[in-house]
Amino acid sequence: MSGTRGQRMDMVLEADRLGKRYGSTWALRDCSLHLPAGRIAALVGPNGAGKSTLLHLAVGLLKPDAGAVRVFGRSPYGDTEGLADIGFVAQDTPLYRDFTAAELVIAGGKLNRRWDAALARQRLAQLGIPPDKPVGKLSGGQRAQVALALALAKQPRLLLLDEPVASLDPLARREFLQSLMGSVADSGTTVLLSSHLLADLERVCDYLIVLNSAQVQLTGPVEDLVAGHRHLVGPRHDGGVIGGVAAVIRASHTDRQSTLLVRTDGPVTDPAWTVREVSLEDVVLAYLADGTTQTSHSEWGVAA
Amino acid sequence: MIWLTWRQHRKQAFYTLLALTALAALLVPIGLSMRHTFADLGLTDCARQLADANVAAATREACDAGFRRFGNQYGGLNLVAVLLITLPALVGLFWGAPLVAREVEHGTHRFVWTQGVGRTRWALVKFGLVGAAVVILAAVYGLGMSWWVDPLTQVAHEGRLGMIVFDLQGIVPIGYTLFAVALGVFAGTVWKRMLPAMGITLAGFIGVRAAVEILARRHYQPARTQTFPIEGEGPPEISRGDWILTQGVRNPDGTLIAEDTRIQCPPGGKGPEGRACGAELGIEPGAYNWQSYQPADRFWLFQGIETGIFVALALLLLYLAVRRIRRIA
Repeated sequence: MSGTRGQRMDMVLEADRLGKRYGSTWALRDCSLHLPAGRIAALVGPNGAGKSTLLHLAVGLLKPDAGAVRVFGRSPYGDTEGLADIGFVAQDTPLYRDFTAAELVIAGGKLNRRWDAALARQRLAQLGIPPDKPVGKLSGGQRAQVALALALAKQPRLLLLDEPVASLDPLARREFLQSLMGSVADSGTTVLLSSHLLADLERVCDYLIVLNSAQVQLTGPVEDLVAGHRHLVGPRHDGGVIGGVAAVIRASHTDRQSTLLVRTDGPVTDPAWTVREVSLEDVVLAYLADGTTQTSHSEWGVAA
Repeated sequence: MIWLTWRQHRKQAFYTLLALTALAALLVPIGLSMRHTFADLGLTDCARQLADANVAAATREACDAGFRRFGNQYGGLNLVAVLLITLPALVGLFWGAPLVAREVEHGTHRFVWTQGVGRTRWALVKFGLVGAAVVILAAVYGLGMSWWVDPLTQVAHEGRLGMIVFDLQGIVPIGYTLFAVALGVFAGTVWKRMLPAMGITLAGFIGVRAAVEILARRHYQPARTQTFPIEGEGPPEISRGDWILTQGVRNPDGTLIAEDTRIQCPPGGKGPEGRACGAELGIEPGAYNWQSYQPADRFWLFQGIETGIFVALALLLLYLAVRRIRRIA
């Protein structure tokens, strides 16, 4: 294990066959992934896919039931010292609602050894957040900004954000992501932010992790993912080998024609197929559709 | 952490103190007036004289009359005393149950447990500070109640060991209050919502308190037994302040022939139709009154044991709560 650690010093977050179970249901299973340093990574998947579970495991709130997760080479569960390097903004940006923003900045100072209160105050001043109003009375967007300012004041090397924009209106969403990007651009902080909508994060992320049904469906740098997949349109496909295609991710057929989304391992030169570039969203949707859980007909007592 | 704990609970602390002050403002005048009446009726002397074993019968009668008058005037306050023993439960409900449950319900545990202090330290500091505040609160309450309930206790035959008054004074309120808070905290770590945690705390507190009070307390020390003859002059002697567990009449061979009874016959007295006194109960010659009791001077020993039990339960619950907190996400 120390060997892999040595090789991957540039890895911020590593999960190795990581699993977490609630009762008999696996919220996350066989999850293996690596997040290199300096990336802005999007963690995408439908609701209930295991995104929050993965983030909670990474910040040490949860203890793995299987496998291991390491942040900067350390196992985060029960590791108080490692917490100093991780900034975490939980879903719905929970804060003490009767505290004012100024009091929260003080509270953060009392709770952390490394704490840049001046940075937090400056950010909040720039954003026009009133310092003496209970944060429960602020708008959702303002509250999210307060939570982000508190997370950044820790000067974390890894910033984890769980659905940070889900409850925000489109304008607040854009402002939040802009201010996030502005603040991590210089510091080299690695960011992992989750959303059930790729569209929210597509413009800011350069790394992608797709989770579905407790499993990792896809992970990698965005440019590689886009470059490594193609749309093919051609005669009806019966499952035979196509040159340059590593795997068919998703196929839809009419009587005479097939439309495929494929992962390529070389140029597709077969003239029978029309090759088109894909967008990131095409890739994600193909993988999500592939892993969709089928509603159990027997459980519902209806014929399949 | 200390700053945060104070900032989070200062409003609650303020209202708790306000409630305690209001209660004091209500009870202190009543207590003073009770004491005035007690002194005016000459009961202070009575209490001292009755502690002496061989009191003149006349004094005893005069004193009993005084106690009765006092009892008639202030006996209703025993109901107030019953209400007052619920205070530790209320502290458990409003201080204990929300301590963790509120954080989890509002999701703020994910904020505070992911800062630089670990959640174990968070829990220990919080439990420690709230626990210390609660101990001070309960000590003040216990001392105040000892003062307040003293006249009522002296009037009652069973004295300070009697149910309700025992629970109200001395150091047991500290044990009860700590236990209630710990139970609330633990319930909050299991059910993680304030209302269920409060409900469970209330039910659990009543259950454990009742079980200890009814089943365990009488066995803290082996009971003493006392026998005295059936035939004798004057009213039966009842030792004030002793807690009588069982009493009855026994035949010379030891069989209990009448429970919860005592018989007092004048010397040579005859029952109806010239039979021996109490013959209709099946009493044989040589039968005697019998009682088992806990003597009054065991009050502080019993207070200590009961406090110890509840403090131990509280510590166990807090330990379990810390363990559970490590698994809440």
